[in-house]
Amino acid sequence: MQTVLNLLEVEPIRLLISFGAVLFLVLNLAAILTMAERKVSGYIQLRYGPNRVGPRGLLQPAADVFKLFTKENVSPGRSDLWVFLGAPIAMFIPAALVWLVVPFAPDAVVADLNVAILFFVAITSIGALGVVMAGYGSRSAFSLLGALRGAAQMISYEVPLILSLLGVVMLAGSLSLVDVVRAQGDTIWTWYFLPQLPMFITFYVSGIAEVKRVPFDLPEGESEIVGGFMIEYSGMTWALIQAAEFASMAVMSSITVTLFLGGWQPPLPFLDLGPFNWVWFGIKTALIMFTFQWIRWSVPRLRMDQLMDLGWKVLVPLTLVWLFVTAGLMLLFPSLGA
Amino acid sequence: MLGEERRAGHEGALTEPPSSRLVSPDIRDEFGLETIDMNMGPQHPAMHGLLRLILELDGETVVRCDPVMGYLHRCQEKIAENRMYPAVIPMTDRLDYFANMHNEHGYCLAVEDLLDVEIPPRAEYIRVLMCELMRLASHIPSIGFLMLELGAFTPILYAFRERERIQSIFEAVTGARMMFHYIRIGGVKADLPPDIPQKIWDYVESLEAHFKRDFVDLIEDNEIFISRTRNVGKMTQEQAVEMGVTGPALRCTGVDFDIRLDYPYSVYPELQFEVITDTAGDVEASYRVRIGECLQSIQIIKQCLEQMPEGEVLGDTGRRIRPAEGEGFGRIESPRGEFAVHVVSDGSDTPYRVHYRDPSFCNMQLLQEIVPGHYLPDIMPIMGLIDPVSGGWDK
Amino acid sequence: MPQIGQGIMKGMGVTLQHLFGQKITRQYPEYKRDLPERSRGMLTVDMDRCIACLQCMRICPDHCISIEQTKRDADGSGKPKPYPVGFVIDDSRCMYCSLCVEVCPVNCIYHTEEFEAQAYNRLELARQFGERPVDPTVDPKPTVKKKKKATTKKAPKTVERPVTEKDGAA
Repeated sequence: MQTVLNLLEVEPIRLLISFGAVLFLVLNLAAILTMAERKVSGYIQLRYGPNRVGPRGLLQPAADVFKLFTKENVSPGRSDLWVFLGAPIAMFIPAALVWLVVPFAPDAVVADLNVAILFFVAITSIGALGVVMAGYGSRSAFSLLGALRGAAQMISYEVPLILSLLGVVMLAGSLSLVDVVRAQGDTIWTWYFLPQLPMFITFYVSGIAEVKRVPFDLPEGESEIVGGFMIEYSGMTWALIQAAEFASMAVMSSITVTLFLGGWQPPLPFLDLGPFNWVWFGIKTALIMFTFQWIRWSVPRLRMDQLMDLGWKVLVPLTLVWLFVTAGLMLLFPSLGA
Repeated sequence: MLGEERRAGHEGALTEPPSSRLVSPDIRDEFGLETIDMNMGPQHPAMHGLLRLILELDGETVVRCDPVMGYLHRCQEKIAENRMYPAVIPMTDRLDYFANMHNEHGYCLAVEDLLDVEIPPRAEYIRVLMCELMRLASHIPSIGFLMLELGAFTPILYAFRERERIQSIFEAVTGARMMFHYIRIGGVKADLPPDIPQKIWDYVESLEAHFKRDFVDLIEDNEIFISRTRNVGKMTQEQAVEMGVTGPALRCTGVDFDIRLDYPYSVYPELQFEVITDTAGDVEASYRVRIGECLQSIQIIKQCLEQMPEGEVLGDTGRRIRPAEGEGFGRIESPRGEFAVHVVSDGSDTPYRVHYRDPSFCNMQLLQEIVPGHYLPDIMPIMGLIDPVSGGWDK
Repeated sequence: MPQIGQGIMKGMGVTLQHLFGQKITRQYPEYKRDLPERSRGMLTVDMDRCIACLQCMRICPDHCISIEQTKRDADGSGKPKPYPVGFVIDDSRCMYCSLCVEVCPVNCIYHTEEFEAQAYNRLELARQFGERPVDPTVDPKPTVKKKKKATTKKAPKTVERPVTEKDGAA
């Protein structure tokens, strides 16, 4: 027993085992999120959602996965097959990789990089590539439109995404996510979402845009270009794209929680659970994911030019202005920084 | 006029007219730009039925939009030539399947124009009551479909909750939830069951109570809805009248034309209601006109329930309906516009010719005129303005 | 550009209210609602009363009723009368318009409250009521009395539409 635990300290084995655990978590999270999405949407729409498979419908993801495994993976005749099949992989891998740097609890992070925020930003940019590969590889007019819209949207919303992080970086004084979580104290009013409220809102909205959810789901555009870049996918390839979408939604929520809502810190000091603080992390991430779903089922979607206007003309100036405000306040009150 | 005070100061997202976004073909050739020919085909989840749109796109701007209809054509007008007059009524149910009562009413008015049967007053009131309930059951899902195509998935479920409740009232009165076969030549088939007037009254009161919360608060002030629908599909009055548009699509441009008041039929002269118009002529205006018409329908239903006289419900048409030679014409205000039926009789048991003037068919001309210059995602709100039903345009 | 603000918050408040409100769906096979008494379900025939007048077969718009008629003395009165020896109702065609119910002179065909017409094979949906099975795939051709005079469908004389002052309106 002791030798097994000693083995876990050895570096490559620790990384592999914890990465395997995180991958297991991500895949299960994607499946559970499909279920959560359907139940939340059902309850908002005055119905129950799936409630036949298993008690209260909790085994529905298992039924879904089983069905998708047994479905045929159709690909269009003229499609560029390597690009077509590589696109779901290119969409899923970034969503899974970012979990390596997310701190779940004190001393529970797979890879404690000191440039974790840069890592996060770089890896999420690869998602745009996956969208373009999917749309281009399908060789159909609808998917081409969806891919171009997706590329334009994801690239333009990365700018406010990154700019809104910079306030947090200035306040914490470090690019490491572990330091950012520790720098936010363990009381709810010292977390960064209050002093950085415009940045929090910008990061949240840009996060929704990066994940391509309503109101920014024009690349998928269900009512006009039915499925957009993923219109030609079926079976397991489609399931992988959906898993990528839900996994990236979970990743965005967890990074939002880490940067602005205190990560694994409890809201009040006496609620500290020690090494079990991942419970607080889980609760906060679930709350943010619930708000993603709540917004999805309440508002219509934006049109492309309105989406671009929002990104470039509203969010970018807001973040730039607040960046200067933060810098100015840090000069005036030197105790603000770390 | 609705909406004028709301628009002051908030132009919305489209400040320049859509057609100015169209690049002229010479400039396109000079720069070597091409357009994409795309097909929003008959298989589409949001096409209001089976409509094929042949689009020519310049990037995201629509240059040309040609609707191709006929995927649901069932030869109703031809089949009606082989059916006896009362047996055509179940077929008219299936024309515009969101407004069945109106179709039956229009056909029966046309045939009663050929005969000289006297319709009892109670039957007239019941007909108007059923038609106004049907108008509610049609306008509320229309709003839901508009929101569904804009991307909001919940208002349609709230809308169908209302439609289900109205359909259960219809089931108690007529026996079926959708294809009623209730309005007959000379009256209606059977009287209302004794507990139905109270049920209708209770339902209408409860609808009035939560109508604002579910269909107005959720949608009207939503900034995304306003940006997607204000100044989109903008029509002038001249354009609308020239294309023969009727119904809420016409009234949202400001033309005050409603068959119930201009060519009155049945007991509408005895009921008090207003015609809702809006000046803007865009999709948001049509949404507002439909909301206003729902509220007016609720008032009409209440008045019908209060004023309904006692009596029988089916006039005496004789054993066989065999009108003399001639033509009969009946026109009514269906939720989509003017629905008119022209029946030509040659003295036998079956009509010589039945022609339906369906509002969905005539309003579809708007697509070819209005859409060029808009973006591709704008086609769906414009379909929400026209609100066609595929059984209507294809017959 | 859109200003995101109170309107969206108001809409989200409405959906949150519905999230915690009452659900309106019913779990179908366990709960079946009471149908009103006039509701039109699948048809059924009381063969004891049927007099094989073929009115329902003639009026049905979808040709879903087929009757094989013979003359038989069924009630012992000595005179052979028309008797339905085969009666089939094809549920795959019936559109529940209730025209047959209305023309039946003896009220023997009527709607039940069942509406679940399901089978694994389309031909199983044709329900036989008589002694001898009738083939539902053959279109019924009822005996039509020959008309004495040929009705030619010539164009009728038209009637002038009265022109009112409303024609200039709109």
